[in-house]
Amino acid sequence: MKKNVIQLSRPLVVASFLLLGVTGNAQQNKGLTDPEVASVAVTANQIDIEFAKIAFQHSRNPEVLNFAKTMTNDHNAVINQAVALVTKLKVTPQTNSLTRQLLADAEKTKKKLQSAKGAGFDKVYIGNEVAYHRSVISAIETVLIPQAENAELKSFLQAVVPALKTHLSHAEMVEKMLNK
Amino acid sequence: MKQLAYSSGVVTGIILLLLMWTACQPAPRVRELTVEIAQMQFVPADITVHKGDKIRFVNHDMVAHDITEETSKKWSSSPLQLGQSWTLEVTGSANYYCSIHEVMKGKIRVE
Ligand SMILES: [Cu+2]
Repeated sequence: MKKNVIQLSRPLVVASFLLLGVTGNAQQNKGLTDPEVASVAVTANQIDIEFAKIAFQHSRNPEVLNFAKTMTNDHNAVINQAVALVTKLKVTPQTNSLTRQLLADAEKTKKKLQSAKGAGFDKVYIGNEVAYHRSVISAIETVLIPQAENAELKSFLQAVVPALKTHLSHAEMVEKMLNK
Repeated sequence: MKQLAYSSGVVTGIILLLLMWTACQPAPRVRELTVEIAQMQFVPADITVHKGDKIRFVNHDMVAHDITEETSKKWSSSPLQLGQSWTLEVTGSANYYCSIHEVMKGKIRVE
């Protein structure tokens, strides 16, 4: 019974992405507009930078800190590219229900991270990074890329996926180290 | 006596000629090869070169990468931003990785 609760709370983000796929389709045939896709993409990156900030305050583990530094630099680079692209395309990112859901979920995760300490923190942080990257990858592949209309926006999202997959493998590697 | 002086002169001459011949030979050609860094991978990830060859690493990704010798961090580039490159003069076989993304790996074989 207890196991079920944990399994349910972990993929919160996945749930909200999937939910959007459904409600988005129910409300309008088209799903997300490009300004909405842009908003979700930028927000998903910002959230991971927020998680990394907490890691800098709470962790002493060099592998965890190196990972958090990589997340900060890479997600910033992605945001900069995204901003440059939407500026060029004259697309203004538009907050939508998925953006709000992502932010609400992130608040819950941040509370969890804030209250964890020491080696316990490292495991919670890295475990969340594994889950978060998995759900963001799946959201980009199954929701954002198919729904993006502009070809450049679409190919930008496609270009981001390999970095996210590398982050996922990196997080899984650190997770294995922590569990040794 | 005369004979000896004569033959040592011949030997010196031959040595000189040999030295000149060696100096005129083209030095073993240094090749410059390229490893592209794209979509979070070193391409090719396994490269065979000769000692003294140069390998130019070029980053095509929007995120920064570096190239670091893996076993003892003997050598490392600084982080390469999009479009930047770094050249390694090969001194021996090596396993290397990106210290920013520790799962990105490559191999240099010297033959
Ligand atoms: Cu890298």
